[in-house]
Amino acid sequence: MTADTITAKPAAAGGTRFSLGRQWDTWGVTGILLILLACTPFIAPGFLAVDNAQSVLRESAYVGIVALGMTFAIASGAFDLSVGGQLALTSVVSLMAFGAGGTGAAIAAAVATGIACGLVNAALITGLRVPPFVATLGTLFVFRGVAYLLTQDGPKILPYDQIGSPFARMGSLNVVGLPLPFVIMVAVFGAGWVLLRRTATGRRTLAYGSSPSAARFCGISDTRTRVFVFGLVGLTVGIAALTYITRVWTADGSAQDGFELKVIAAVVLGGTSLKGGKATLIGTFSAVFLVSVLNEVLVSRGVESAYQRIVLGCVLIVALTIDGLRTRFAAPGSFRRSLTRLVPTR
Amino acid sequence: MIKAVRRVPLLVPLILVMVILAVSTDTFLSTGNLENVLVAAAILAIPGVAMTFCLAMGEFDLSVGSTVSLAGVVCCTALIDGHPLPVAFVMALGAGAVIGLVNGLVITKLGVTPFIATLATLVIVRGASLAYTGGHDQIVNSAGLKYLVGGRPLGVPMPIVLAVVAAGLAWWTLNRTRFGRWVCAIGSNRDAAAMSGLPVDRIRIAVYVLVGLAGGVWGLLISSQLQKGNGQLGLGFELDAITVVVLGGTALLGGRASVIGTVLGAVMIETIRNGLNLLNTPPAYQRISVGLLLIAALALLALRRDDRGTQPNRTLAKVQETPA
Repeated sequence: MTADTITAKPAAAGGTRFSLGRQWDTWGVTGILLILLACTPFIAPGFLAVDNAQSVLRESAYVGIVALGMTFAIASGAFDLSVGGQLALTSVVSLMAFGAGGTGAAIAAAVATGIACGLVNAALITGLRVPPFVATLGTLFVFRGVAYLLTQDGPKILPYDQIGSPFARMGSLNVVGLPLPFVIMVAVFGAGWVLLRRTATGRRTLAYGSSPSAARFCGISDTRTRVFVFGLVGLTVGIAALTYITRVWTADGSAQDGFELKVIAAVVLGGTSLKGGKATLIGTFSAVFLVSVLNEVLVSRGVESAYQRIVLGCVLIVALTIDGLRTRFAAPGSFRRSLTRLVPTR
Repeated sequence: MIKAVRRVPLLVPLILVMVILAVSTDTFLSTGNLENVLVAAAILAIPGVAMTFCLAMGEFDLSVGSTVSLAGVVCCTALIDGHPLPVAFVMALGAGAVIGLVNGLVITKLGVTPFIATLATLVIVRGASLAYTGGHDQIVNSAGLKYLVGGRPLGVPMPIVLAVVAAGLAWWTLNRTRFGRWVCAIGSNRDAAAMSGLPVDRIRIAVYVLVGLAGGVWGLLISSQLQKGNGQLGLGFELDAITVVVLGGTALLGGRASVIGTVLGAVMIETIRNGLNLLNTPPAYQRISVGLLLIAALALLALRRDDRGTQPNRTLAKVQETPA
């Protein structure tokens, strides 16, 4: 193979030639979501009623916001299993701060706690060189444990006389018919897209995910990438916690058990590769809603919650199977693909 | 001695914790309490030993907690329906094996990443066991089932006997048989293993079936303790099983396995839980301490890795290669 064929192929795959596979990577889940939505009037009448649609958007927002951060983490080649613990701890701290200092304190506390949790993870991973999977598995126990400690004498509850306050209504507020949490989620995804596709930091994250050692040789810092990614996850958890507590008004150590798996499932379903180096924000966005719409449809069809789990699990396997088979059938091109993956643009 | 510590870094902290507990409580060293710790550790060690194979292969099985629930439910409903005990046991273990087989097939034949495939079966199997029971407890009163945890052949509690047998078999398989070497070969470099002509897919399926079976045994033990089965049993158990293996020093990225480490990991976790109970600390501290323990163990391993030099280059390993 000569030098110019090597350079020519990444250019061809860089966007000039139409490739069904690549389009599927980015838009597949969105397509399925749209088809599902188009079918809902027939299979679940009343689903698209304004109240119901609003509640789906509101309920999905906090999963979606954290899924944005998790997309960055997975694209950089790492999981963050501690987001459930982070969410519980952040919610508890934020409610405590609200009791002490009002709205501003609550918001500041949520964001600060979230970022602090992320930095703890980053410190363990870069400082003590613990693999992310185990470090965040450990901090999942730790963060949740601390949240339990703080709520030993009962869950933190928003004071009753504050239920009418702007902070308490934030989670249920609508902006031009759209729930505020959903608007926040859209804004977070917008910012995330700019960060990923239009800044050097975003490209470094993807490059690091493709090949940490290659990235290192290009002068990309391990520590800075880790701190950025896990700090970002913490930040999104902080924002998500705000939309969560302003809707449910209470939190304790057991808040949102199993949250991490929900978030990771959405990111993976969306098409972000677990191998790192590849991210699709629109995929994550749609996957969050695909799961919640599917759930809602099953509920409205009167399917028992036990069977809902079975259906959701099967959806996950089918989606990942399509992905797995596609990669397998594309095997002859896999060498080319491995070359093009070195170029962090799509 | 130094060699033993290097092999099983957990040994030092374990002895330390035990000494602290022996000094600070007057009940820890009582025969009854030590037996409780060992029985709990034995119950945890059985799935841990099977999970050791999985991690040695560089993969995870997250579905074990749900398998516990389904196996318990299957066994208890079979007993309620009037089937004899052996039939109920076989059905429960069969359920575990089938889950393992499904995991293995989905992972190898459909090409789904183990993490996600077993995450999906975790959800599905939990749903299945909830659906199977309609969300109700399946309460039994069976002397035979009770024997599994309460029995004392030759005066030794049954779970300890089972765990010793399981650990012995696992040690022998990993260190003395072709199969064990194959598992580690896949763990250190799957592509190289495949190119050397190993039946990689079949080995992986076998390991998942093994983990499924162990999950089934775990389920039987738990429902033997509680004399019931329901859809809520075993919530979060998958993390316990993985924690035990990781604490024991089996490389998270595969290629190396330590059965003795896993057993000590189980003893360590149960000692700490027991100690915290004896010291009357709130349950929250138990979570925190397990988490800190996990991090500390891995940090120690990472330090040890530094003086060894390089790492196999695999997906999860990518992130912690030492600079060339």
